[in-house]
Amino acid sequence: MSSLLEIQNLSISFHTPRGEIEAVRNISFSLSEGEVLAVVGESGCGKSVMCKGIMKLLPACAQIKSGRILVNGKDITGYGEREMCNLRGSFFSMIFQNPMTALNPTMPVGRQIGEAVKQKQPGISKKALQERVLELMQLVGIDSPKERMKLYPHHFSGGMRQRSVMAIALAGNPRILFADEPTTALDVTIQAQILDLLREVQQKLGTATIFVTHDMGAVARVADRVAVMYAGKIVEIGTAEEIFYDPRHPYTWGLMQSLPAFSRGKETLHTIPGMPPTLIHPPKGDAFACRNEYALAIDYEEEPPMFPVTDTHYAATWLLDARAPKVTAPVGRGRK
Amino acid sequence: MIKKILFFCISVWFLSALLFFISRLAPGDPLVSYYGERAEKMSVKEREWAEEQLGLDEPIFVQYIRWLENAIHGNFGISYKYKMDVVEVIGARIGNTLILGGIGFVLIFGLAMVLGILCAWYEDRLPDRIICQIGTVTSCIPEFWLSLLLILIFAVNLRWLPSSGAYAVGEADNIESRFRHLILPMTVVVTGHLWYYAYMIRNRILEEVRADYVLLARAKGLRRRSVMFRHCLRNVMPAYLSIMAISVPHILGGTYIVEMVFSYPGIGTLLYESARYKDYNLLMLLGILSGIAVIFCNMLSQIINEKIDPRMKADDAVREVEGR
Amino acid sequence: MSAEMGKEILLDVQHLSYHFPLTKKMEIKAVDDVSFKIRKREIFGLVGESGCGKSTLARCIMNVYKSKGGSIFYKGLNVCDAGTFRKNQKMLQTSRQMIFQDSDSSLNQRMKVCDIITEPLKIQHITPKRGSMRAEAEFQMYYVGLDAAYLDKYPGELSGGQRQRVAIARALAMEPELLVADEPIASLDVSIQAQIVNLFKHLQKEHGFSFLFIAHDLAMVEFLCDRVGVMYRGKLVEVAKAGDLFGDPRHPYTKALLSAIPVPDPVIERARKRIEFDEKDFCCEGTLVEISPEHFVLERGKEG
Repeated sequence: MSSLLEIQNLSISFHTPRGEIEAVRNISFSLSEGEVLAVVGESGCGKSVMCKGIMKLLPACAQIKSGRILVNGKDITGYGEREMCNLRGSFFSMIFQNPMTALNPTMPVGRQIGEAVKQKQPGISKKALQERVLELMQLVGIDSPKERMKLYPHHFSGGMRQRSVMAIALAGNPRILFADEPTTALDVTIQAQILDLLREVQQKLGTATIFVTHDMGAVARVADRVAVMYAGKIVEIGTAEEIFYDPRHPYTWGLMQSLPAFSRGKETLHTIPGMPPTLIHPPKGDAFACRNEYALAIDYEEEPPMFPVTDTHYAATWLLDARAPKVTAPVGRGRK
Repeated sequence: MIKKILFFCISVWFLSALLFFISRLAPGDPLVSYYGERAEKMSVKEREWAEEQLGLDEPIFVQYIRWLENAIHGNFGISYKYKMDVVEVIGARIGNTLILGGIGFVLIFGLAMVLGILCAWYEDRLPDRIICQIGTVTSCIPEFWLSLLLILIFAVNLRWLPSSGAYAVGEADNIESRFRHLILPMTVVVTGHLWYYAYMIRNRILEEVRADYVLLARAKGLRRRSVMFRHCLRNVMPAYLSIMAISVPHILGGTYIVEMVFSYPGIGTLLYESARYKDYNLLMLLGILSGIAVIFCNMLSQIINEKIDPRMKADDAVREVEGR
Repeated sequence: MSAEMGKEILLDVQHLSYHFPLTKKMEIKAVDDVSFKIRKREIFGLVGESGCGKSTLARCIMNVYKSKGGSIFYKGLNVCDAGTFRKNQKMLQTSRQMIFQDSDSSLNQRMKVCDIITEPLKIQHITPKRGSMRAEAEFQMYYVGLDAAYLDKYPGELSGGQRQRVAIARALAMEPELLVADEPIASLDVSIQAQIVNLFKHLQKEHGFSFLFIAHDLAMVEFLCDRVGVMYRGKLVEVAKAGDLFGDPRHPYTKALLSAIPVPDPVIERARKRIEFDEKDFCCEGTLVEISPEHFVLERGKEG
């Protein structure tokens, strides 16, 4: 498997009047052709900034401080707006959290999809364009597309809008799809449908997907690999099986334990104490240390490096150091 | 629709009554405008006779009913000062005001759009800051003061442009002369209103630029220019159109002041004179015409808001039901 | 526990309906012939997708909307009746409290936390039990797990979870007997959600109020609630004890809803088949039928 997208030591900061916000700190990972990578973390952990940062869709106050973004081995870190426009839509594309606001309310849905198609095939004939739009709408499971393409977004339900957004995102046959919490704003039943659609389309078109979410259940359904983010850093990354059955980072343990399914039959839910740190002045050492019941003295002093667990599984916690005391994970297969 | 027409008629009627009573209760002598200087030397007998002639001796209420009766038949009476049918008096002047106001209106909204887009495009960068600064300063200058300043510089000192009137004597059909007379009043009308609308457009566009759908449009590979013109501007337009409609009376009011300062023979000067000299019939018709313009424009903006924006239809009810 | 909970009914909703008129001819039946009861010291969960009428139902119960049919008995008083409501206004307004989803807009941004918490007391002219208003606010803050230092801050300076705690403190300051929470955790982060749910559970035990918990996160409802009602298109389609409902769902919509909850286990989750619910199958006529003790399902006709 060749690597389609490679991120090396990427750091992104926002310059605000209150100071510099280090939203993404020193992230590295790679994405292979046709694979689904789920990025999990609480809001404000930088997962969505990372996606927008790779597509350079961030506002002007955001800046890539260091690191490289490689696309098919080519460095696009220094690309300007014009070059990015050519990549957007055709190489990577994005769907967003809130389908209610992601569509232009004053333009028929069909035209918005058509616009995306035209972007990649400027000389397309009117008839071919319409056919392509209908094809895309069918692909994302919108019934009777012919009638619906003339409707405005407000005629559509939330699920239907998210499908339309997906059609727009897929119009240019992108190789990578960024899905930024695509199901969070939807109802449970619709959520499930969109997840299945995402998986189905992904398998049909072979589009690699970066799926950003905070829902571990959704991750289990669609992801091949999982990256857990906390305070702007990837703290653990591995295949879905490794993360779910053999998690190594205490934050991953905490995330799993706060699922209600974990506390079934108990009096209280397990919680991670405290709150995520602000990223204006990230704490020294491991950012998770003060919420971590397994924290070691070194966690407050020095940031842990990524320790390899297997070839595909890495975790940034001092617990994996040879000198650390042995701790048995409270979740995963180790417990059962 | 019938409801709206009914509402319109009632508003106009209410306005006419209000105008009638207020103008007659205000101090001033209407005979002065009819007889000029002579009115002051009249004996009591003569005055009574003159008032009877003009129908001013009856109680106000009866006068109003009589006026209303005549007005419904299209007879608005004669102007005391010009001794002509008021419709004719206004007809002779309204063209000048429409030229000043109409061209001014187009210029204001055209330029405001261009400046607004420019500012939004260069948000917080140099062009934006310069335009905003200039706008803040100029919009603080009162119109009459700016008029006087311009007259002083361009008409009195430099002698480039005429200071008053709509055309040079005897050259009513000379387009160039009319144009030269228009420049100064037009400048004042435009600079007085331009910045407010330019600023509004800028902020509206910036609001749109921050919306999620812009992100999606950019994510699908659209260039910034297409996003700005095809998406953002499109969504700003309904609001802009309705504001254009509302602002008609506002700009009209502005031209009235400017007309007076430049002695431009339009409705504004006429209105001023009629109010000052108690030329009742003229004042009534002018007031009602202006009022109709205001009411009509407000209704128009309401209709635009309802019709153009596809979001406005039945959407609110649905949102209410969804409870979010 | 259930024996102590007793049979005493606090809130009894009978055949409640609420319609939003769309045009002269059309209307939306937001709440359509809904009946259920909440007992004293009970946590009742109400789930359903957005637009199913659960928020409207809550607002009807709180007398925010005037219901268009049916009746709501609170402590035996018909609060839908304007006269009864006016006579008992003070009692009704103090002993029923509500918490909203969006703590950002449900707390006045220009008021300090201390004033927000004590405002209901001032409005109802209640003398604070703990001496001063300030002491009362401090006590409530402590109770919901917030530091008293936050009292002089504005809501904008707090995080979402902290704001929701302030909203809870405000509701609890009145010592309510019925607390209605409309999606109180929906806009919070996962780890914070768990904290708030724990807080609810703890507070309910301490105070013993009845609690109507509206949510669309079914897993949380299963954990927190004693009994659960499922709403669909303005109708209550199934009511049962939490264990019964989640263990043995009967209505096809409930089944579809439960099967949509993802299981956090990749191997099981990927292989799992979902149950789809076709809205055409939904029959809007019908009555709730008790199929086993305390387990009611909407069925067409009496025989099903």
